[in-house]
Amino acid sequence: MPNKNGSVYGLTILSPIIEDEKATPSHDLQIRNYLAKLSIREESPFAQAPGTHLARLVVMDDVIYVGMPACEEHLKSKYLVFESNCDGELDTYLTGLATNIPEHLDAIWKHCVGYPGAANCEAFVDYMKACQLDTTFYFAAVNDKSVPESLRALQTQSAVANFIATHQGADPVTLQRDFIEFAAHLESQPPPPPGSMGPYREIKTGGRNE
Amino acid sequence: MSKLNASDIQGFVLRGYNLPVARYLFLHFEDATRARSLIARLLGHITTGQRWDAGKPQSTVNIAFTHRGLEHLELPLATLLTFPVEFQQGMRQRAALLGDTGVNSPDHWDPLWRNDHIHVHAWLGINGQSVEALDTRQAAIQSALDQTGGATILACQEAAAVFINGKPTTKEHFGFTDGFGNPDYLGVERSTQPGQGKLMPDGKTWAPLATGELLLGYADEAGELPVAPVPHLLAANGTFMVYRKLHQNVATFRAFLDRQAALYGGGKEKLAAKFIGRWRDGTPIERSPDKPDSSIAQDPNLSTDFTYGGDLAGTRCPMGAHLRRVHPRDAFGFNGRLINRRRITRRGLPYGPFAAEDQPVSDADDRGVVFMALNASLSRQFEFVQQQWVQYGNDSHLGNDKDVLMGNHGGHGRFVVQGDSSNTNPPFVCSNLPDFVELRGGDYFFLPSITALGMIALGLVDPR
Repeated sequence: MPNKNGSVYGLTILSPIIEDEKATPSHDLQIRNYLAKLSIREESPFAQAPGTHLARLVVMDDVIYVGMPACEEHLKSKYLVFESNCDGELDTYLTGLATNIPEHLDAIWKHCVGYPGAANCEAFVDYMKACQLDTTFYFAAVNDKSVPESLRALQTQSAVANFIATHQGADPVTLQRDFIEFAAHLESQPPPPPGSMGPYREIKTGGRNE
Repeated sequence: MSKLNASDIQGFVLRGYNLPVARYLFLHFEDATRARSLIARLLGHITTGQRWDAGKPQSTVNIAFTHRGLEHLELPLATLLTFPVEFQQGMRQRAALLGDTGVNSPDHWDPLWRNDHIHVHAWLGINGQSVEALDTRQAAIQSALDQTGGATILACQEAAAVFINGKPTTKEHFGFTDGFGNPDYLGVERSTQPGQGKLMPDGKTWAPLATGELLLGYADEAGELPVAPVPHLLAANGTFMVYRKLHQNVATFRAFLDRQAALYGGGKEKLAAKFIGRWRDGTPIERSPDKPDSSIAQDPNLSTDFTYGGDLAGTRCPMGAHLRRVHPRDAFGFNGRLINRRRITRRGLPYGPFAAEDQPVSDADDRGVVFMALNASLSRQFEFVQQQWVQYGNDSHLGNDKDVLMGNHGGHGRFVVQGDSSNTNPPFVCSNLPDFVELRGGDYFFLPSITALGMIALGLVDPR
């Protein structure tokens, strides 16, 4: 199964962008504008819908000719590229997107040819699948763990590291008592929200030739 | 790759001079014509990379420019705009990206680097056998300054090797032996030693890095020419230099180490070695995890020849040890190939009075290290190392943890010592790390070739 690695799905979708000379700004620019202003971390649309490990949205204008010995080629249209590392079955994931972030999907994909809207879930899933390519080889964000499992693991790692740091050298009785209390408390905690576990880092570019 | 033309490359690029004292002058240009005539006068002073068959000179001189400096020399706009963005911006504008925030933010830098009206245009580095030799050389430079009116000296930074029993050493103020790890490059004549270049696919032997990782105008490790200004002749045989004045809070370091060592089963010196990845005498703990061994530290065939492939869990050398973070060798797998485009060449010396372990110290004492790094690409090499390996831990499998020594911790840092089940090598966590090192200023400089200096001096830079 070329799109799956264990339970993690590698999704690639290319949607042709509407070519309309009368549209100002053009549809591709309108997508770029919306994407540039999307929130990150917990407010990212992909944090608000379930099942995304990491995702990327890119506007692909054309194939750039880089000179000899390459041959000059062009795409038939501009494309919106959507790549996602996600959990489980594709239908479930796409339905989750349509249910949780329909306004974002519509704001982005309304500039694409044939997009039916997210309100009609079945049509939306069919459309996305019609635009899908086999991913074949991709970077797996995690090894066969779901998003909730990964978040729970990060939460546990962070909490246990804090526990160790504050209990080094403690006597065995205190250590056992505190650990039982700690483990019970940790178990009762909900998993942290997606997008919340990294350090706060502004998106910055480092210049050319990264 | 044949031998490089050493007479066209500034000596500072090709070798660490290993001279015990230095003085770094920071120049400001007023008038382009006078500044160019100053550079013409200085040309004869500049030390090249030619071999010192007749022995070391009394002193050396090298020069480098900020982007503002090149503007004031009136290089053509079409040339100025072709320099990489990070060099055009300068280090101060890159503060957020580099993690130079909090106590390290430009607001806390020395006045020299904070002045919004009078900027540093050039760095003039004098290295010497003695302070007298520096004075003699500076007097000659001063007369060139006086005669041409080409520049004013804004500030002067003294630096010197730490002297112990009257002899210069490679110690730094925290008490560690420094200066082991500079890479070898193709074409650079140097007595190479195993562990200083790049690891070969066999996982054991080492070869020099591509010249283009150090010098502009040559292929780099990807087989590409590094991003460089036009014309080619201005860039070739030149490089970029990072200058960072790093203040060391020696009192904080000693107190923290004492406090943590009281809780650590391996003892104080072992904990100190775990921070760095070397015992204080320089012995790599990867090679000798239980004790310093001068037969390793002092043998060039052993002191840098080690890998982490047999220690992926970090039980010998912690995954977050300073040395392992900034030069991970094969720690990320693939026989080290992931790091070959992230190497830097370090120059520089300590500044301020050295205090032995039994002497009192205060954080307010003016001491630290003048850190200078050379690389073909500031963004790909120095900035990447600083941002990803010093101020972040993901590549080292350490999450958000920062480099124990260099990290901008603000009192919240953490350093994990991986261990085993033995009593003398227990796992240990250091929490609430303070800032051991604080940035006091600096900038990015372009260190041109001798030919390029001549072109600048004569107004011959032509991008067409």
